[in-house]
Amino acid sequence: MGFSLRSIVYLLPQVWRVLRAGPLTVQFPFAPPELQEGYRGQVVVDAARCRGCSLCVRDCPAFALELEREGREEYRLIYHPDRCAYCGQCELSCQFGAIRLSNTFTRATADRDTLTRVLVDRRPSPPPLDE
Amino acid sequence: MLFKLLIFPGFLFLLLCAFVFDWVDRRMLARFQGRVGPPWYQPVADFIKLPTKEDTLPQGVNATVAAALPMLALAAVLTASVYVPVAGVVSASFEGDLIVVLFLLSLPALTYFLAGWISVGVYSILGGHRSLLQYFSYEVPFLMAVAGPAVLSGSWSIASIVAYQAQTTWGAVMQPLGFVLAVVGLIGKLKRDPLDIPKAKSEVVSGSLTEFSGRKLALWRLSMNMQTVVGIFLLVNLFFGESRFFDVLPAFPVFGLKALSILLLLATASAIYARLRIDQLADLGWRILAPLALLQILANVGIGG
Amino acid sequence: MTKIIVPIGPQHPLLKEPVSFQLTVEGEHVTESAMRLGYVHRGIERLCQERTYVQNIHLLERICGICSHVHTTTFCQGVEALLGVKLPSRALYLRALLCELERIHSHLLWLGVLALNIGFDTIFMYAWHDREVVLDIMEDLSGGRVSHAVNIVGGVRFDLTDDRRVTLLRQLNGLEEQVRILLGVVEHEQTLQARTRNVGRLSLEQIRRYCVVGPVARASGLDVDLRRDMPRPPYDGLTFQVPVRQEGDVWARTLVRMLETVESVHLCRQMLDLLPPGPVSTRVSRRVPAGEVVSRTEAPRGEVVYYIRSDGSDKPARVKVRTPTLTNLITLPSQLENVNMADVSVVLSGVDLCIACADR
Ligand code: SF4
Ligand code: SF4
Repeated sequence: MGFSLRSIVYLLPQVWRVLRAGPLTVQFPFAPPELQEGYRGQVVVDAARCRGCSLCVRDCPAFALELEREGREEYRLIYHPDRCAYCGQCELSCQFGAIRLSNTFTRATADRDTLTRVLVDRRPSPPPLDE
Repeated sequence: MLFKLLIFPGFLFLLLCAFVFDWVDRRMLARFQGRVGPPWYQPVADFIKLPTKEDTLPQGVNATVAAALPMLALAAVLTASVYVPVAGVVSASFEGDLIVVLFLLSLPALTYFLAGWISVGVYSILGGHRSLLQYFSYEVPFLMAVAGPAVLSGSWSIASIVAYQAQTTWGAVMQPLGFVLAVVGLIGKLKRDPLDIPKAKSEVVSGSLTEFSGRKLALWRLSMNMQTVVGIFLLVNLFFGESRFFDVLPAFPVFGLKALSILLLLATASAIYARLRIDQLADLGWRILAPLALLQILANVGIGG
Repeated sequence: MTKIIVPIGPQHPLLKEPVSFQLTVEGEHVTESAMRLGYVHRGIERLCQERTYVQNIHLLERICGICSHVHTTTFCQGVEALLGVKLPSRALYLRALLCELERIHSHLLWLGVLALNIGFDTIFMYAWHDREVVLDIMEDLSGGRVSHAVNIVGGVRFDLTDDRRVTLLRQLNGLEEQVRILLGVVEHEQTLQARTRNVGRLSLEQIRRYCVVGPVARASGLDVDLRRDMPRPPYDGLTFQVPVRQEGDVWARTLVRMLETVESVHLCRQMLDLLPPGPVSTRVSRRVPAGEVVSRTEAPRGEVVYYIRSDGSDKPARVKVRTPTLTNLITLPSQLENVNMADVSVVLSGVDLCIACADR
């Protein structure tokens, strides 16, 4: 084995550089995360645009969307974030640009049922929207 | 006397140092790696947290022995600390105390091995086995390196070695090789990266201590941390004794600075090396370190004699 | 000396994924080993038959948490072949761009894992920090750090603006610098070499016998790379080297992977320079004509093979996935024979196991 002094302390210069550059840690729960613009997070819907075509429901790979139809124009679009895979397929499948993924992603609960959200409510006399 | 034993430089001071050194060490390593590192109270929090956890032992392990071993390790380290001066202040000293300190400091290695031996887990057994092998690899070069200053000054008392350096100069300046070897030996003794072979996480999980938890684990960790402190203090005394160059400054901060510098060396070593394999360590110890240590001792005999 | 059986896994600090090894150890010496797989079997191939092609893309993306994009690429490639559509070349470039980014990310991740397993935490941190740069780029391009969800049958879902292309080129330059530092560490650092050299050696003959693929094969002197040997656009128009080493040990695998990483950065740069204008996708029908197809791609760990059979509906009749890990796993028992207990971690990391891929 050829030992040279350089190879014995090979990493030292790099350690020094890192030390001078300072830590790179993002202290996440205490500091906001560094999210990119197009990050795929929670699903949101522009309710005015939604036509209830259920294309998004058909293509959702995680069965996170649900359309409860009561009549031709009466329906509810329900979203289950606990199942959502944040794949963005719904955004792609919607022909009316109604559904899209926002870049908020933090959401925590001990009871997964409380996560469920009604995105669109088009029933004749809608009870108050949750949230 | 009681003040010296319990407060300074005794138990309380050592406890404080153990926490501070642990934190500084983790923090330095973190910075080397581009991380932030834990906040200052982390070692204390860890120490408080562990005893509150459930203390379990696998079936078939002698509970008395398992409880006694970490205490024995801690007791040995604490006893050793009695003879190690801190900034010139020492609780007790006599001619030949260096030998006693060295003996006491090798006791934890034995208890560590026994902890693996009595355990029933395979990882513990492997870890214990490894710790013994490691002991044989680092201990001889370490002892020889530490004997260097004693040979040089012609005395086996730590206090007179320090005094000898005050007349001449730092031991590390006179015997740089010996100092480097002593640091390597200390790394092996403390089972620190890169010589953490007996507790290599990816190989033997946590070595001898795999099955320990709760209060016993807290004691083990405390004894390890205290061992770090005592070991570093010992090296400071032997290789960076009070020199004329620093006489202008008060002894205590200078001593702290020296100790932290050695800690920096240890942290750097753990940052820039990968863990060695046990046979590689044995090779290193016997083929390279031991002959070099012998060389240093011979040189010391030449200078001192 | 007494024999003891040391279990590695299904849960062990060495393993990042559940797989189990029973090692018979004498002292520090491993004499026998037995392996058990199947802890992360999720029945994905069967599930594929229940879902439409559109949904399957997202399902197959989740086979692997590292090389997710390459799975969807291979799948889409196959389905496109069945459909007989020709992709716009911009789509092909963007797909390949992400494939190469993924290769960089995968190799850096692997280097980190190897470093962690040999107690070299600093390199682990550095490698993963550099990987973070790649992840950020991918997140920016696709919206996801690991599951990109960019492939659709008929093209891709994202596009690059010219501004973004320029900043991307700059980011890649910085990345290359970082990767070269890591490459230097692999080439020169003594302790890393001490741990990886002459460990887990596989001869060219063994490689052939076990049909090993990817960097493991290339580190033993087998010069295979689908990107070069079966060039599909855009690789046919790009120049790159396929690093090959003869040593066949873990160190050679490390070196091959790091050299490949550098090549991938070059490839990304070339693709960005040559990126043709035009649309990024074409419309295709949801129903796929009956037929069967085999689709192959060079994933970071080696060749991925997909077999897809269609019965003319919008759901595949059968999807079969052969991942590179599956072939490489088979070499483990012979690599684990007569090794030091401490080398087990090196051997296991050297193969770059992706258990989730192998189990599916
Ligand atoms: S993001 Fe994917 S999983 Fe989530 S609702 Fe949309 S289609 Fe379903
Ligand atoms: S969100 Fe879009 S795809 Fe979904 S039901 Fe409404 S209009 Fe249809």
